Amino acid sequence: MIETRLGEFEEVLLLLVGILNDDAYAFKIAEEFQNQTGREVSIGAVHSTLDRLETKGFLTSKMGNATAERGGRRKRIFTITAIGKRALKTSYEFKVSLWKQYPDFAAKFNFG
Amino acid sequence: MQPNQNIKSKPNTEPPRLATTLLQQLIRDELQEEIIGDLKEKFQIALEHKSVTGAKLHYWYQTLNYLRPFAIRKRSLHTTTTGMLNNNLKIGWRQMSRQKMYSAIKIGGFSLGIAASLLITLYIIDDLSFDSQPKHANRIFRIYQKYQAPEQLYQWTWFQAPFAKTVKQMFPEVELIGRYNESELFGVGNAQIRRIDQPDNSYEEGITYFDQELIELLELPLIYGDSKTCLDERNEMVITRKKAEKYFPGEDPTGKLMIYNNETDTPIKIGGVIEDFPPNSTLQYDFLVSLANREMWEGESDNWNATNYPTYVRLREGADPNEFAVKLKKIAEIYLMKRESNPEDWFKNTSYGLQPLRDIHLKSADISDPVYNHGDIRFVWMFGAVAGFILLIACVNFINLSTAKSASRAKEVGLRKTVGSFRSHIIRQFLVESLIFSVMSFVIGVLLAWIVLPYFNDLAGKSIIFPWSQLWFAPCMIAASILVGFFAGIYPSFYLSSFKPAEVLKGSFARSNKNALTRSSLVVFQFTTSVVLIISTVVIYRQMNHILNAKLGYDKDQVLVIRGTNTLGKEVYPLKEELLNLASVKSATIGDYLPVRGAKRNGNYFKLQGEESKENRGASGQFWRVDPDYADVMGMKMIDGRFFDRKMASDSDAVVINQAMAKELGLDKPLGQKIFNYRNWNIIGVVENFYFDNIREKIGGLAMVIKDPSTGNVSIKLSTNDLPGTMRSIEEIWKKFSPHQPLRTMFVDETFASTYDDVKRMGQIFTSFSTLAIIVACLGLFALSAFMVEQRGKEISIRLVLGASVRSIFGLLTANFVKLVLISIALAAPLAWYIMDKWLQGFDYKTTIGWDVFAIAGSMAVLIALGTISYQAVRAGLVKPVNGLKSE
Repeated sequence: MIETRLGEFEEVLLLLVGILNDDAYAFKIAEEFQNQTGREVSIGAVHSTLDRLETKGFLTSKMGNATAERGGRRKRIFTITAIGKRALKTSYEFKVSLWKQYPDFAAKFNFG
Repeated sequence: MQPNQNIKSKPNTEPPRLATTLLQQLIRDELQEEIIGDLKEKFQIALEHKSVTGAKLHYWYQTLNYLRPFAIRKRSLHTTTTGMLNNNLKIGWRQMSRQKMYSAIKIGGFSLGIAASLLITLYIIDDLSFDSQPKHANRIFRIYQKYQAPEQLYQWTWFQAPFAKTVKQMFPEVELIGRYNESELFGVGNAQIRRIDQPDNSYEEGITYFDQELIELLELPLIYGDSKTCLDERNEMVITRKKAEKYFPGEDPTGKLMIYNNETDTPIKIGGVIEDFPPNSTLQYDFLVSLANREMWEGESDNWNATNYPTYVRLREGADPNEFAVKLKKIAEIYLMKRESNPEDWFKNTSYGLQPLRDIHLKSADISDPVYNHGDIRFVWMFGAVAGFILLIACVNFINLSTAKSASRAKEVGLRKTVGSFRSHIIRQFLVESLIFSVMSFVIGVLLAWIVLPYFNDLAGKSIIFPWSQLWFAPCMIAASILVGFFAGIYPSFYLSSFKPAEVLKGSFARSNKNALTRSSLVVFQFTTSVVLIISTVVIYRQMNHILNAKLGYDKDQVLVIRGTNTLGKEVYPLKEELLNLASVKSATIGDYLPVRGAKRNGNYFKLQGEESKENRGASGQFWRVDPDYADVMGMKMIDGRFFDRKMASDSDAVVINQAMAKELGLDKPLGQKIFNYRNWNIIGVVENFYFDNIREKIGGLAMVIKDPSTGNVSIKLSTNDLPGTMRSIEEIWKKFSPHQPLRTMFVDETFASTYDDVKRMGQIFTSFSTLAIIVACLGLFALSAFMVEQRGKEISIRLVLGASVRSIFGLLTANFVKLVLISIALAAPLAWYIMDKWLQGFDYKTTIGWDVFAIAGSMAVLIALGTISYQAVRAGLVKPVNGLKSE
C-alpha cells in the first residue's frame, strides 16, 4: 500500500490552503472549510492541523499584514511547499488508481 | 443589515476579556498575535448572526478549543514555583518517613477523627433528609391543634373525621388534604391476613386506614394501579412492593382479594401497589386500607367529638401557611366551640399550627403524634458537637506533635533562613507537610468509615448507604482535607518559621515556656472534652439501667403475652383454661390493655358522683376493661380495698382506680365512692401507681372495670426454669385451637426494654464515640510523653547514675501530665453536669447525678492517662544510663 501520510482532514486543509492562496490563514481556512463541507469546525482544530502539516514540511508560513477587524494584529499566511504538492498529487493518483480497479462500481454510479 | 449595524455600534462588543486573558496566559508567545487576531475576526462575524451573549459564548468555545498541546505554552518543570513545591513535598515525605512513630500517630489519630466525624455527618444528613421525597414537600404540612391550659401547652395531631373535608370546602388555598388512622381501636395496626385462595393466616403489622387523597398528596410512587383511583372503594387497600412480592410473587396483584382477620364475607381488594416507604420517612406502613365510605361507627363522618385522624394538607402555590393556620380557627368557632363548657375561654386558648412535612421527624418533641421513629433535633446538635470535638482533638494532636518536635527542625529553619529563604517559604514548607498528613489521613479515614459503616448502621438503627456516587461527596472530601490540613498546619508553621537563625545556629535555642504552655492548654482541652464524654456516657448508661430496672409498680418478668387471639372468638376462654392446666402457668388473663407502650389505649373523663352536671371536664384517665385475674398476672399491689372477684356479682358495677386517679379526683378515702363515666361505678380498690406508658412522662389516671374485655391478647404469668419446654406445650395447645395461624408471643419485659431502644441506642453511640475521642487523645498523650522522655534523656540518665530509682523517674515524668488531667477533670465536671442535667429533665423517672459519677469518670481519665504515659516513663527509667550519656 502506498503511504500517502495524509489524513482526510489534512488533505482537505491542504487543498483549501491552495485554493485560498494569499488569504490562507487559520480563521479563513476554518470558514472556507465550513462553507465547502457544511461541517462545524473550531479554529483551534484547524490551526493545530496546520501546525502539524507545517512540521511535516507540507506547508510553510509567514506573518502577513494586519487589519482593523483583527484589532491591528497580523495574520499567519500558509503556503503549500513542493513536498505538500507532491503529497496531494500522490494521494490523488492513489485514489484514481483504486477507482480504476473498481470498473463496475465506477460505471454503475456513472463517474466521469 | 440595519440591525447588525446597531449591534456593532453597541459599546460592549469586545470579546470576553477573561477569555483573552486566559489565552495570553496559556498560549505560546509566538502564536498569540495570530490566534487572538483570528478569534477577534471570528467574533466580529459571529456578532452578525448571533446575539452578543451568543457570540461571547462562541468566543469561549473557540478559546477552549485552542487549549491544545501545540498551542499551549510549554512550562518548564524547573521554574522556581513548581520546583519549590516538589522540594517541599520531598522534604515533607522524608520528615514523615524519618519519624515513623510520630507520623503514624499523627495520621492514625487524624484518620480516626475523620472517620468518626464522617459517620456522624452521614447520620445527621440522614436525619435531615426525612420526608424530603415529595416534589412539593415545601407545600405539604401536618396540621396540629394547640390548647394553652393554665399550666401547660398541649399540642396534638389528631383531628375529627369531618375535619379534612370541611377544611377543603371552606378554604380555597387547600390543594389536597388527606387523613390516616392507624389506631388499634378501629381494627388496624396489626391483623391476620391471607390471600383468599390460601388457608393460612400471616400476622402483619403496619396497617392503617388511608385517604385516597393522601396517596396523591404524599406523591407515593405507584407500581401498579392509579394514584387517583386506587383507594376509592370501601373494601380496597394498597400494599407495598415487599408485601406484594410476599403474597403475589411475580404477578400484578391489582384486583386480587385478601381476607382480613378471618372476615370472609368482606374480602379486601388490592387497589394498587406502592413502593416501600423509604427508611427516611416518618410514615412506615405496609397496608393502606381505604377510608372511602367507611365509618368507624355510625354517624362518625359528621361527628365532631372524636379525634382520631392525623391530617396532612398541601397548600396551593403562594399560600401562606401561617395565615392559613390562623384562618383554621374558623373551624373551631363553627364546629367545636359550642360543645365546650366555657366556650369563650376555650376559644381564646385554642389555635392551629402547620408543621412543615420535613420538620416532622426532628421537631415533634412537644407534639403528640402516632409516629414512633422520631429523631430529636437536640440530639442531632449534640451528636454534631461530638463529631466536631473528635476532629478538634485530632487536630490538637497534630499541632502538639508538630510544635513539640520543633527542636529537631529548628536547625533546618535556621539554615534555610541563612541561605536566603523568606519566612513565607518556610511557612509554605510546613503547610505542605500538614497537607500531606491531612490528605493521607482523609484517604485512610474515608476508607475506615466505609468499612465500619455497616456496624455503625446497626448501632444507630439506620440504613445509610455510603455516598461514593453522590456528586457532592468527592469535592467535599477534597475541600475538607485541604481545609483541615490548613487549619491544623497554620499554627505550627507560623511558630516554626519564627525562629531566629542566629540563635538557633549558635545552639542556644531553648524550648520556650510560652510554647509549653500552649501545648499544656491544648492537652487540657483534649482531656476536658474526653472527660465530658465519659461523664455523659456514664450518666446515659445509668439512666438506661435505671429505666430498665425501674420499680414500675408491676412485675414485668416472666409474663408471656399470646397475641392475635381475637381470631379465636369465644374459643379464647377454653384456651385460657387449658393454659392454666399447665404446671408452669401460674395465672392467666384476657385483655388488650397491657402495661407496655404501644398496647391498646383510650382517653376518658371521670367525674365524682353528684358532679356530673358541673362544668369542669373532670379527671382525665385511661378506662381499661380487664378480667379479674389481671392484677394477679401483672403482680400489681393494692394500696386500698381489693381487686375484682369473680364470685361477686356486684363487681360488674365496680371500678378499681390507681393512686393518680384518686389524687386527681381529690379523694382521700376513695373506697365506696362512686365515679361517673356514662354511668356510675363503685370504687372497690386502689391500685399502686404503675408505669403503663412512656416512663419519661408522669403516671396518668387509670380506672379498670371487668365488663366484656377485648380478647386480642392472653397474658400468662410463668413460673418455670424450663422455658423451651413450656413454650412447646403452649404451642401444642395453640395448634389445637388455631391450626392455621402461627403462635405469636411476646414477653412483657422484652417489649418494655425495646420501648427504650432510643435511650439504649444513644448510650451505645455515645460510648463508641467517647471511646474514640479518648483513644485519639491518648494517642497524642502517648506521643507527647515519648517526646518528653526523648528530650530529657540526658537528665534522666544522670539522675539514674546518681542513684534515682525507677519509681522516682516514673513520678518525675508523670506528675506533670497527671496535673493536666486533674485540671481537665475540674473543668469538665461542672460542664458535664450542666449538659446531662438538661438531658435528664426530659424524663419523669430519672436517675440522680451523684458524686460517684464524677469519681468514676475522673479516676478513669487519670488511669487511662497514666497507663498511656507509663509505658514511656517506665522505659525511660529502665534504660542503661550509659547509652544516654556516651555520645558526648
